[in-house]
Amino acid sequence: MKRNKGMIILFLTPTVLMFSVIFLYPIIRTIIMSFFRIDGITDPVAKWQFTGLSNFIRLANTSLFRISMWNLFRIWLIGGIIVMSLALLFAVIITSGIRFKSFFRAVIYLPNIVSAVALATMWLQYVYSPKFGLLKTVFTNLGLTSLAKVQWLDNDHKFAALLLAYCFGMVGYHMLIFASGIERISSDYFEAATLDGANKFNQFRYITLPLLKGVFKTNITMWSVTSVGFFVWSQLFSTVTADTQTITPMVYMYMQIFGAGNSITERNSGLGAAIGVLLSVCVVAVFWLCNHLLRDDDLEF
Amino acid sequence: MAKTKKYREPVNWKRELRLAPGYFILLVWISFTFVLLGWVLLASFSTTKEIFSNKLLASGLHFENYVKAWMNSDVAGIFRNSLIYSIISCILLILICAPAAYVLARFVFPGNKLIQTGFVSAMGVPVVMIVLPLFGIVANLGILNHVMSNAVLLIFLYIGINVPYTTIFLMTFFGNLSRAFEEAAAIDGCPPTKTFWLIMLPMAQPGIITVTIFNFINIWNEYFISLIFANSDKLRPIAVGLYSMINSMKYTGDWAGMFAAVVIVFLPTFILYIFLSEKIIAGVTGGGVKG
Amino acid sequence: MRKKVMALVLTSAMAVSLAACGGGGQTTETAAAPAGDATTAAPAADGGQQEAAAPSGDGLVYWSMWEATEPQGQAIQAAVDQFTADTGISVDLQFKGRTGIREGLQPALDAGTNIDLFDEDIDRVNTTWGQYLMDLEELAKAADYEATANAGLMAACREVGGGTLKSIPYQPNVFAFFYNQTIFDEAGITAVPTTWAELDAACAKIKEKGYTPITCDDAYITCMFGYHMSRLVGEPKTEEIVKGGQWDDPSVIATAEAYADFASKGYFSETIASNVWPAGQNQELAMGTAAMYLNGSWLPNEVKDMAGDDFVWGCFSYPALEGGTDGVDAANYGAQVLAINKDSQKAEDAFKLICYITQGEFDKMLSELSIGIPADSNNTEWPALISCVKPVMDSMNTRYPWAAGAEANADMTPIIKENFLKLCGGSIDAQGFVDALKKAGN
Repeated sequence: MKRNKGMIILFLTPTVLMFSVIFLYPIIRTIIMSFFRIDGITDPVAKWQFTGLSNFIRLANTSLFRISMWNLFRIWLIGGIIVMSLALLFAVIITSGIRFKSFFRAVIYLPNIVSAVALATMWLQYVYSPKFGLLKTVFTNLGLTSLAKVQWLDNDHKFAALLLAYCFGMVGYHMLIFASGIERISSDYFEAATLDGANKFNQFRYITLPLLKGVFKTNITMWSVTSVGFFVWSQLFSTVTADTQTITPMVYMYMQIFGAGNSITERNSGLGAAIGVLLSVCVVAVFWLCNHLLRDDDLEF
Repeated sequence: MAKTKKYREPVNWKRELRLAPGYFILLVWISFTFVLLGWVLLASFSTTKEIFSNKLLASGLHFENYVKAWMNSDVAGIFRNSLIYSIISCILLILICAPAAYVLARFVFPGNKLIQTGFVSAMGVPVVMIVLPLFGIVANLGILNHVMSNAVLLIFLYIGINVPYTTIFLMTFFGNLSRAFEEAAAIDGCPPTKTFWLIMLPMAQPGIITVTIFNFINIWNEYFISLIFANSDKLRPIAVGLYSMINSMKYTGDWAGMFAAVVIVFLPTFILYIFLSEKIIAGVTGGGVKG
Repeated sequence: MRKKVMALVLTSAMAVSLAACGGGGQTTETAAAPAGDATTAAPAADGGQQEAAAPSGDGLVYWSMWEATEPQGQAIQAAVDQFTADTGISVDLQFKGRTGIREGLQPALDAGTNIDLFDEDIDRVNTTWGQYLMDLEELAKAADYEATANAGLMAACREVGGGTLKSIPYQPNVFAFFYNQTIFDEAGITAVPTTWAELDAACAKIKEKGYTPITCDDAYITCMFGYHMSRLVGEPKTEEIVKGGQWDDPSVIATAEAYADFASKGYFSETIASNVWPAGQNQELAMGTAAMYLNGSWLPNEVKDMAGDDFVWGCFSYPALEGGTDGVDAANYGAQVLAINKDSQKAEDAFKLICYITQGEFDKMLSELSIGIPADSNNTEWPALISCVKPVMDSMNTRYPWAAGAEANADMTPIIKENFLKLCGGSIDAQGFVDALKKAGN
């Protein structure tokens, strides 16, 4: 252990330095700001008014903020289950020795690199259109008239519509992470298992899954981080003003810092900072949970 | 890695048949993707009226959308900027973060969990809360008044903002490597630092490739930092340029032009993605490293 | 729970410990910052101002909300080029775009960045950034600026500037009903509706001819609510109701009932509850299936590619209501405005540039390129697409802010939006609308 001390310091210093320069001051400032009433985010400290916990209390008492947290939770949980299962499924198929592997992988990842503005416009004005939408056409052709009549973008369905569009783009990203994890598993394991007569499913169940614990952890952490930052899609699905079905804490924070929509509303960057602190705590909590539930210290290969 | 070698073997029908359900699922998903992205592509060749009345390409191909989008801004310039920013940042990120991730994943020492928690919580803090206060400091230092120092600052920020992400991501890949390698190297008298660079780093390659692809795409698409910190039009990267193109099209009701702008920006990005991922993967498999 | 708290404590503890042992050159940056912040704003800004001004020479720095490629951006660039050619004063013109200005301007001003003038919406500049503005009364008087300016807009600028002129308007706009004249003619509607009963009658005629009388998009639906409320009780009262959550006020249920009535008569687009912008304006109004849409005077420009050249536009102010406070002479009208940084050393040059942009030749150019309303009263010829707006604009006396106060409470806007869309779509009734607002609290 002793002889590693030099290396630990040497290897950590650049990262920690970088981290301190970029993040330390803003993070401390954000934490402090969350206890103050502040108009503009860069207002000088002299203009801050200490209000104790009232920012957090106000958030807890605002129904719109509670709605936004609920939406975030739904995106994280439901979206997470959809995305993780599809991503894992595709990753397993892609690494199962099929042909045109790189082609498949590239196409599945494709939506992730197309500008969200174009994708959202496509979903909103084409797929979900109540006049000539893809969904409507498909359901009409299948004879499912009641489904064909659904207005996918009205209040009752807008959340599902948003979630579907968002998940479609995210599957490729998490598939790449899973695939790189599976690729790292030595093929010797599978060969040995095949010789022992284990079928594909059992190989997946007893070799792939346990060895993927760490990758799962990474995927869940990354999914939580991106969910917490959920913003662009929400904005694209409700231009100008926020919407109860699509609002997320990040959107709410923007409203507090820069004003909502076209109208001039009260700004409170302290409240925005409080949201930042809450979101950060959520991410840390998920990370902590993952670390404890998915311990992989005993797994090495 | 051995699996990729089967690529050029003759078709083994029995094997392919066993994989048929897999092919089927992928094909369904991919056709869906093609329908959706195909619509975007066709929309970029249509008129705005056709887009909103579901008659794509009704009046033939409209290349003028592309001409307009191309003339609209300095596409080559913003590409060059983004390419420079992304490549430099990605390389430096691995050099800075891989050693740290290795140490954090491998060794128990006071402060380890603290640093991890710090990094993870940093990822949860909204970018605005990071970027705007930083801007206050940087603007006072006068760095933004010169193009060169401004560019260096941008790269510095791109790296810094991705440090927690890259480090946390890579930790998993080091954590699962067998300690036997280090023990063997230690017996051979290889110092730990050397062991890392020569043995451990190459073994984490799938993770490094994946995170580099993500970093590349992240920095390539980075919008907010560039918007706030790129004080000169000459420094604008692709995302800011694209956004400005999209906005100017949208606010004048030229939706066809908007789709053309998106495709113009998308195509090189995609080619770059294919090229990079193939190149890096080829490098790994060619290197004969066995995972 | 305790563990979560621990994580937070650990984070901050780590922050402190890292700051302590960081050392080296980098920490000086971070350490210097809080000190700079702690001093009051004015001297800090002044100090930064002079330092930053030195390397950029004698020129002006102008941050604009447009994109360089937008028509507005092109016209402003042309005006700036001419200004530089005439006066020899160089201008560093930065097109920051809407997000860039909205999110980046205040941090830049706070950091003392050298910016002489900037532009944005009239309310945002005067309200949100009011503390950074220079009083322009003297400069305007010296240039005899108001001889050719739109009196109503100048008055509006003074009103939002707290009684004094702190910004100069350009690109005026007005928010009113825009309609398809061809459909009106076909339905035999000869005069624009000025009362709710007349609007009702007009809708009935349009519906009879098989068209959708009124459509809207989610982005603008709250404007209908705000306009109706303000017609009933005036804008200040509307804002009070929205901010104070006084949903029991009789005007709220009255508004809801008026819209529920229209909804039951089938006057709204069938898809109004699911129209996400720009579906309503592009797929219905511009395509000629819907007749009316409450929107800003930028609308004809936004849909010109879809509507085609033969589309004849009409415009009328939101109708007056029986026993209501406000008449058709009240609307949300405004402009983008140019303002000068109070710390600018070159205010006179900056004002000269403002005159270039907002008067004569370049104002005309701006209006023509962007199909917008000219700001210079000498530019009497409006672009053909929006000439129908002129009588409406000229008749304005009372100014509403955006959405006539309906969006004054950011915490309620999405809730009003959701339920008003449902009301227009017919899935809830007037009482249901009021109940939903009450339930949401605040």
